Amino acid sequence: MSNSILVVGGGFSGLTAAIEAAELGHDVYIVEKSPFLGGRVAQLSKYFPKLCPPSCGLEIQFQRIRKNPRIKFFTQAEVVGLTGQKGNYTVNVAIAPRHTAPHNVDFSFLASTLEGEATSEFELGLAKRKALYCSMPFAFPGRYVLDPAALTQSDKVKLAGNQFVNLDEAPKAVELSVGAIVVATGWKPYDVTHLSNLGAGSVKNCISNMQMERLASPFGPTAGKIVRPSDGHAPQRIAFVQCAGSRDQNHLNYCSYICCMATLKQCAYLAEQYPDAKITVYYIDLRTPGRYVKVLDKVKASPNVSFVKGKVADVVQGANDSVTLQVEDAIRGEKLTLSYDMVVLATGMQPSLAEAKLPLPVPVDEDGFIIGGEEAGIFAAGCARMPLDVMRSAQSGTAAALKAVQTVKGR
Amino acid sequence: MAQVKITPDMEFVRELQCAGGESLKKCFQCATCSVACPVAPANNPYPRKEMVWASWGLKEKLRTDIDLWLCHNCGNCADLCPRGARPADMMSAARNMVYKDLTQPSIIGKWMSSAKGLPILFAIPAILWMLVWWIRTGFNDGQWFPRAADGRIVFGQVFYGDYTIDPIFMITFFGACFILYRGVMRLFELFKPEGKLLIIGKTKPWFMHVYDVIVEEIITHKKFSDCGEDKENRKTAHMALFYSFVVLAFVTAVVAAGHWGGKVIPAIKLETPMPLIFPVKILANIGMLMLLFGLAALTLRRMKLNPKYQASSFYDWYLLGIIWAVAVTGMLSQCFRLMDAIKPAFVVYYFHLVFVWMLFAYLPWSKLGHFVYRTAALVYVRMYGRS
Repeated sequence: MSNSILVVGGGFSGLTAAIEAAELGHDVYIVEKSPFLGGRVAQLSKYFPKLCPPSCGLEIQFQRIRKNPRIKFFTQAEVVGLTGQKGNYTVNVAIAPRHTAPHNVDFSFLASTLEGEATSEFELGLAKRKALYCSMPFAFPGRYVLDPAALTQSDKVKLAGNQFVNLDEAPKAVELSVGAIVVATGWKPYDVTHLSNLGAGSVKNCISNMQMERLASPFGPTAGKIVRPSDGHAPQRIAFVQCAGSRDQNHLNYCSYICCMATLKQCAYLAEQYPDAKITVYYIDLRTPGRYVKVLDKVKASPNVSFVKGKVADVVQGANDSVTLQVEDAIRGEKLTLSYDMVVLATGMQPSLAEAKLPLPVPVDEDGFIIGGEEAGIFAAGCARMPLDVMRSAQSGTAAALKAVQTVKGR
Repeated sequence: MAQVKITPDMEFVRELQCAGGESLKKCFQCATCSVACPVAPANNPYPRKEMVWASWGLKEKLRTDIDLWLCHNCGNCADLCPRGARPADMMSAARNMVYKDLTQPSIIGKWMSSAKGLPILFAIPAILWMLVWWIRTGFNDGQWFPRAADGRIVFGQVFYGDYTIDPIFMITFFGACFILYRGVMRLFELFKPEGKLLIIGKTKPWFMHVYDVIVEEIITHKKFSDCGEDKENRKTAHMALFYSFVVLAFVTAVVAAGHWGGKVIPAIKLETPMPLIFPVKILANIGMLMLLFGLAALTLRRMKLNPKYQASSFYDWYLLGIIWAVAVTGMLSQCFRLMDAIKPAFVVYYFHLVFVWMLFAYLPWSKLGHFVYRTAALVYVRMYGRS
């Protein structure tokens, strides 16, 4: 019997669940797949409801983790096995090697001298990263990661004698004993390559909304300047394509709840940087839950943002790297073919479990959202359960933590 | 914005759903379909507006909509439809509703609208031709399966051209033509926009437009090509079927001219059955093979449709079915005749007559009516533009 709790996933809801449970006196283990905690929120430029930068909310969470000895976390780690039952689980975790020393060595100079590069997952393909990297200034843990696959031969020579780098570090396996599990595996942006009629990711300057977040982020590839990825020019005509692959039986058959708000937020980013830029939002319905409707009113009041009812159904490359889209303005009954400097596909959230399977007894629905497992002491939190904004993700993290705590209480 | 009061005709919505548009209520008006359609024009594209009219039960809007006929049912809209509302099927369901109600007697349209009407539709020609057969036994010494004087099987022995087949089919043919003519006039009436129609610039006489439509669109199947390269197979199959009808119509015309003309000018006299190596017979059999090929390809296409995107209505299966019945009985009649199997030959030939009569007599209420109504719509568009 164990009164420890395992949290799978170190994003906003997982962190919240872990901290809440730990602050109630339970030992908590966080298993995070990527090298850093913070999840998707860390990639945002600003987030609702207050439009703060992610460092704001995440810093507090990271502080609480640092100060709480009950929380242990594993990055680059995955749950690979589970035995036992509710109240008494044995979890096998595989940890990939980080190849860098366990204390926060400042590798920034060394990293910049390396030749080897790879496409940055964190920047969603908008930039390259070095073989030795740290995703962002406030990354936690602050330890650099070494990706040996991206090293060139001369890089390897350069790193050979370095006492803080261990190229031969082997993968590790740990066994944890826990009583309950919180699954906070989160989401990923829907893969635009499936959207064949929207360019399938091959049209230059047709980006996804998450890529837009990186462009707007002061720590992103353009240091916060929203420019066209192809030539660095400032866009003057921008279109947002709502429901790009959402509410669509051929793609995500549900509404992701956040993309409308994300677009309104990004309209504000653009209006702030380019007061004269013309922005058009093409939508089927605009969903602004609760008090968020005020944001819509505010954006609608800006003179350069217009809203057209009609789903963009065709996107192709235009002249000079512009993007040409086709849409029917359903109010006026006119099929429009228009050219934009930049087009943003407001893609939805796909649960991480849609493709990746966990070795846990959690049932998922046809879309990959968790729909049960509570009888086994396994509780879903955040976007693994349903599409949520950050605030509600945190709330669901707290809820899952409470349930997990009740499961192991008194043992 | 002006307020518009809408009176939904719920009965019409239900009828549409029965006629092949069962998923139409799933539509949430995203307008993907209007963009997906390769032939919809920029001004007032389709089928998004038709979907909302259907959903709201705006019967008159749909009935008077010329765009129903500009749609060539490629299904691109259905492939991209996010809700599986199957706009392509709704468009064809709306056309089916026009077949059903456009012309009198509308009771035939009602019979044609579901499998329930099939027995009665079949019984009419079955009784008619059985009556002919029975009467003709009196001329054949009471024999139901008589042979010609030289011992051959000659279908004309029973179904004698001059007094039975030719008059019955001529009445049927010209009757159908008359009903179709009335249908086209009615359709033009429906297409007319409210208020006055002002035509600016030169106009051509209507028959020139008919010529243009035939030469530029029907002969080439241009709209089928516009539907997209991935639909090439459909174009080929439809073309094969279309041209087989042209060939067989030509053969029929030659035989009729040879028979009736031969009474006046003996030099062009032509009597059936023709020998297998006779050019007209060769052409007829080529027509039959094209017919079978086109039919098989179109039937396979329908069978392979993914019901998530597109399905087939009774109208679709009736048309394919009746043409199959005509083709197979026609082919078997010839085979049995050549095999000298007299009983099967006459029985199958009897059914052949029944099915051919069904094909032509019910044409104005069946999907085959598209051949006339769509042509009429394409002509109208050329004459007046699109309202």
